[in-house]
Amino acid sequence: MSSTSTKPGASVAPGTSAAPLIKIAHLDKSYGAFKALEDMQFELRAGEVHVLFGENGAGKSTLIQIICGVQSFDAGTYSLFGENVTSLTPAVAHQKGVSIVFQEFSLIPDMTVEENLFLGHEMTSGGRLAKGAMRAKVQTVLDRLGFHLDPAARVSTLRRAHQQMVEIAKALLWDCKVLILDEPTASLTDQEAAQLFDIIEQLRSEGLGIVYVSHRMPEITRLADRVTVLRDGKFIATVNKADTSEKELVQLMTGRTFDEFFPHIKRDVGDTVLSFENVTLQSGLAENISFEVKRGEVLGFAGLAGCGKSEVLRAAFGLEVVTTGRITANGVSLDKHAPRKALSNRICYFPSDRATEGLAMHQSLISNSSIAALDDPVFSRGKTLLNRRAEKGFTEKMIDKLKIRTPGLNAKADQLSGGNKQKLMIARGLSREFDVFLFDEPTVGVDIQAKLEIYDVIKALTEEGKAVVIASSELAEVMHMSHRVIVMREGKIVGELDGEAVTEDALLSHFFDHGDEETQGQHAP
Amino acid sequence: MSDQAQPSGIDLRAVGPHLLLPLAIVGVVVLFALLQPAMLSGDNIVNIMKQSSLFFFVACAQLVVIITRGFDLSVGANVSLVSVASSMVMTAVMPLYGTGLGIALGVGTGLLIGLVIGAVNGVLVAYGRINPFIVTLATMSIFTGVATTISGGFPIFNLPEAFSYAFNQMIILMLPIPLIIAGLVAYAMHFSLTRTVHGRVLYVLGDSNEVAHVAGRRVKEHLFLAYVTSGVLASIAGLLMTAQTGSGEPNLGTSLVLNSIAAAVIGGASLRGGSGGISAPIYGALLIVCLSIGMNLQQINGSLQPVVIGAILIFGAALDAIKTKAR
Repeated sequence: MSSTSTKPGASVAPGTSAAPLIKIAHLDKSYGAFKALEDMQFELRAGEVHVLFGENGAGKSTLIQIICGVQSFDAGTYSLFGENVTSLTPAVAHQKGVSIVFQEFSLIPDMTVEENLFLGHEMTSGGRLAKGAMRAKVQTVLDRLGFHLDPAARVSTLRRAHQQMVEIAKALLWDCKVLILDEPTASLTDQEAAQLFDIIEQLRSEGLGIVYVSHRMPEITRLADRVTVLRDGKFIATVNKADTSEKELVQLMTGRTFDEFFPHIKRDVGDTVLSFENVTLQSGLAENISFEVKRGEVLGFAGLAGCGKSEVLRAAFGLEVVTTGRITANGVSLDKHAPRKALSNRICYFPSDRATEGLAMHQSLISNSSIAALDDPVFSRGKTLLNRRAEKGFTEKMIDKLKIRTPGLNAKADQLSGGNKQKLMIARGLSREFDVFLFDEPTVGVDIQAKLEIYDVIKALTEEGKAVVIASSELAEVMHMSHRVIVMREGKIVGELDGEAVTEDALLSHFFDHGDEETQGQHAP
Repeated sequence: MSDQAQPSGIDLRAVGPHLLLPLAIVGVVVLFALLQPAMLSGDNIVNIMKQSSLFFFVACAQLVVIITRGFDLSVGANVSLVSVASSMVMTAVMPLYGTGLGIALGVGTGLLIGLVIGAVNGVLVAYGRINPFIVTLATMSIFTGVATTISGGFPIFNLPEAFSYAFNQMIILMLPIPLIIAGLVAYAMHFSLTRTVHGRVLYVLGDSNEVAHVAGRRVKEHLFLAYVTSGVLASIAGLLMTAQTGSGEPNLGTSLVLNSIAAAVIGGASLRGGSGGISAPIYGALLIVCLSIGMNLQQINGSLQPVVIGAILIFGAALDAIKTKAR
């Protein structure tokens, strides 16, 4: 994989002989007295996928921001395409051929795919937009990437996975020699991710240097040529993927050994606390859904993105309109369902999209952790006056219990890293008494350490006798965390697996329509 | 090391804005005092206190909705309508039932109008889901029109002197009455914004409606209530300003819309919602009133003042943009 033939048009020969595209040595970057990067080393060659691996806060983001000119650096050298760089701006970096796909979406929802792609770089002829030329260019890049997207579609109508494709197309619209991908698969399903990997391999074979930020081990195994490990802003090692193992990488990253990833959760099934009877949603994204959630076990929902699993969780929390059927919690029928009603019926939901539904990004940790429990006598008197001491005490307790890394209690949610944001959201679930916990993509965009901590929370809740429901696009997660798995396809439940029967093969065989051209072969280990 | 870095960074950010505006206000006063010693005369200082108190109410009305990422362009129309309607009630009731009842009914009418305008805005924004800019632009036009129509476009004179005395000239413990009312309202607003569930929810929903909804808050009710609060605050401004001019004026509030937004924004409220405390309308009102009075003393052409206000609004919004970007 690592050495491939040069395609026509590739300007730089792949391999190690050519000068590196990027060479960074002894680079320091501080924010005040906080050293974000210290004595950093990094080298990117043409035709390689170089993975940046490290926990959140390790300095990966700072490094890629320096590479693409968003941040400056204090000391050390950065040479880009053989030239020493002292002051780089994003515009100059882009012009020189450094493109980046950020983790947070940079698309404007109300514009079309095409308009987004050309945003700020519109092609003109005689002062007017050259719409024909732009359309042709878009089509070329979409074809090259194999994306089936309508250039005239509004971005807001696309699913997250498709929005991600637009981001990538945007980065590749202009000639580039270095492509930086910051956790590109965070919102993709396995199948979509596989498609992305093919594209990355193709780009590598065309001679691009690819910086790939990820903490997903299977992706690293599949894609990486070399891996640079960062920890606490320090360079730890650059290793050839061929010479290393998953175990070694995790050890390098965390500085500790890595025993077992998924916790063993004891199953002690109790009463039914939530049930769906033939529920059909107005959106049409889920039909005829019936299932029961019981105390003391983890129920998983698996399926491809868009199969309706996430909508089922949303419906349980009153975020979808139910046209027929009935949702019951603890014997109470939840008609005219709404989040407020769900919370008072002891149902808690953690949305997959932290930025839009989960956290008020510009509010403090305190405000975010108590917001769902302000009716509770613990946090307010008469549901009107805040008990600020209780809020503060609770938040401090959660920071401690969930190991939330934060500059302070009054820090804004936005100042936290992805994993800590997720933990802050989980704190909210512990702010009052709940029976049912609904996790929609519990570990999206979260580093390995935080992931393990979130799994521990799920384990503790389940073993306390709570009912836990997980919907996840990460097959391994839903498979290893759940006692029982319901598989959905195209809005319907197509199978239910229990205990020992929950295996990768069994799950995958339900994922796809059997008459479908999709094969399961690509998932063979 | 990083632990030591954080406090100093936070201190700067926390202390900076708290000091910047008071310093700017003092700077403006000192500057005009150097040019015109009359700036610091006893009469002028009472004047500054009164004017800023009146202006505080509209700036505060604006703040409450700016926190929810909204606007209230109808504050000026509100002030005008309250001014003429309460004056009409007072002058009509007084000859028949006496001054006391006249003033009481006039004030009651004014507050009720504020409540109704706020409720109309609130229903349309919160329950009708119409853009607050459009809603309040429309109600601004409507209620300005109503104010002009019912008054025939002429001021309403012969208000009871007791009204002007009670709501403008009275001095308690050396403090003019508008300042005392403003102080009480400021305290109540501060309490409501920082110590109540309602206040907390306003900030959260200003940040994101969805987040507040998913957290089980009654988003529409809180949003509605914010517009009602804004309407009532503006109507208090209308009553106090009427007491100051001594007549019901159909165009009393014309210049207040832009000024109130400028005051809230320069005081530190963010147009992106979710931030800004009671200090914003206080500082904002003081700054703008000091500038305006100083310019009057200096006999700077009155038509230039809107230019200055516009510049202040841009400056405030730019500061806000820089603050966000720095993060």
